[in-house]
Amino acid sequence: MDWLEQELKHALARKDPPPGFAARVRRAAGRSRVFTMPRWMAATAALLVVTGAGIGWREHRGRVAKEQVMMAVRITAVQLNRIQTRVREVRP
Amino acid sequence: MKPLLLAACLALPLAAQPFQFDLRHLESKATETLDLSLTHSTLRLAARFMDDKDPEDAEVKKLIEGIEGIYIKSFDFKDGELSKADLDRVREQLRAPEWLRTVGFKNREERDTAEVYVREVNKKVAGVAMICAGPKALTVVNIAGPVDLDSLADLSGHFGVPKLDGKRK
Repeated sequence: MDWLEQELKHALARKDPPPGFAARVRRAAGRSRVFTMPRWMAATAALLVVTGAGIGWREHRGRVAKEQVMMAVRITAVQLNRIQTRVREVRP
Repeated sequence: MKPLLLAACLALPLAAQPFQFDLRHLESKATETLDLSLTHSTLRLAARFMDDKDPEDAEVKKLIEGIEGIYIKSFDFKDGELSKADLDRVREQLRAPEWLRTVGFKNREERDTAEVYVREVNKKVAGVAMICAGPKALTVVNIAGPVDLDSLADLSGHFGVPKLDGKRK
């Protein structure tokens, strides 16, 4: 066995944790759990987010629809104006 | 009997559909195309976002109430690309007695034509169509459904819409 193998064997050798290690880990894990959300609360929050997104999307679609309608009315108005002007030219 | 019933069932939704122009023959010729198709559901949604306190919004809301759709197509062409035959193919789709031409204008020198048609079903207005063509442009407006011509005329002053005369040619 050469020196490298000996080094590796030493480094990878199984070592038992120091006394009280498991208890310290449990305590630390307990401290880090600041807040655990109940399932019903998580579900309600998700529902609110989805509903909010839906309302937002609907609002956006409504505004786009309104702009399109206004544009359509404007085009119609321009064409009607053009016709009216032409008719008046012929029959003032 | 069954095929007849099936045919009748298939025909019902088709009959309920509002009139729409078939302008595919112009699309390949045009250099630019504007297509605005507003269905009944889009109009209803838009109406909910109209502010009743705003005079323009209120008038437009009144105009689109009950309308099945607004379909506008506008084409730009290179000079000479839009032929008389092309326009005739558009006009042919507005057949009497359903469609009545209420206004017609033609200027040979400027190659300008403008026409307004009203669709009547059971003596009630069921649509308005406009065909406005110049040497390089064509705009076709189709308002499907029970258009209130008074509401259309009431837009005057806001969008520059003139009052329409209901005289038939």
